[in-house]
Amino acid sequence: MADDHSSAIIPTLQNIASTVNLDCKLDLKGIALQAQNAEYNPKRFPAVIMRVKEPKTTALIFATGKVVVTGAKNEGDAKYAARKYARIVQKIGCHLGVKFKDFKIQNIVASCDVGFPIRLEGLALAHGAFSSYEPEIFPGLIYRMKQPKIVMLVFTSGKIVITGAKVREDIYTAFDSIYPVLTQFSKKTL
Amino acid sequence: MATFELYRRSTIGMCLTETLDEMVSNGILSPEHAIQVLVQFDKSMTEALETQVKSKVTIKGHLHTYRFCDNVWTFILQDAVFKSEECQETVNRVKIVACDSKLLTQ
Repeated sequence: MADDHSSAIIPTLQNIASTVNLDCKLDLKGIALQAQNAEYNPKRFPAVIMRVKEPKTTALIFATGKVVVTGAKNEGDAKYAARKYARIVQKIGCHLGVKFKDFKIQNIVASCDVGFPIRLEGLALAHGAFSSYEPEIFPGLIYRMKQPKIVMLVFTSGKIVITGAKVREDIYTAFDSIYPVLTQFSKKTL
Repeated sequence: MATFELYRRSTIGMCLTETLDEMVSNGILSPEHAIQVLVQFDKSMTEALETQVKSKVTIKGHLHTYRFCDNVWTFILQDAVFKSEECQETVNRVKIVACDSKLLTQ
């Protein structure tokens, strides 16, 4: 490898969870009855679970008007999907007071493959303060980075999951800081 | 035993309802009796489907819309293939309404 300290690898965003407040009490049963692709089983969960096909996402719609949108692959889609759900709710019956308040991306999950196997025991020993590696419980190493505040799952295979970010830049920064460390614990360098 | 009124909207159920309506309006049957017949129909349909129908049909298609509310699943399928042992048929659009029979015994 020509340069050990940076990589051409860019983590791929896999999921974005966001919230929005419609600022309006909602009639969940009415929504479940009139909207398409909705599930409402108040005995099991106190929200309507609704899906739209484009962008392919799922929303949890609560009676308080709070909505959680998951499944989006980028920030734009997350907001566009949230707007779609707000629109669907607004069009149903007596929800004329629907607003679109405090839209916020709460979590971004990304993944990538560094392309070489990793010695997790070595990494856990060298970075004990940040790492938790219990192969009996979970096969991946959990790396809690402080700056940016991000959680990473590192697997022996070289596959990485990065989560806990509110902005995508944090994902990239976190990956750029961990990559040189991972190369140190590559099984090939032994 | 409680029963679903689900089968009243089937062809046989609609025909029965129509006949009963006619009989009531002609004064041959009292409305109370007509209701009783319909309740019996609900019970008989449930029982017949449970005990007398042995054939199995599989339905496969593109799920256009689904809904779950009040313990009732509603599915709208596009280009659904109905397959039984003897035959196979494709239906452009079909709506499936399904209730959980376990809820009746509770």
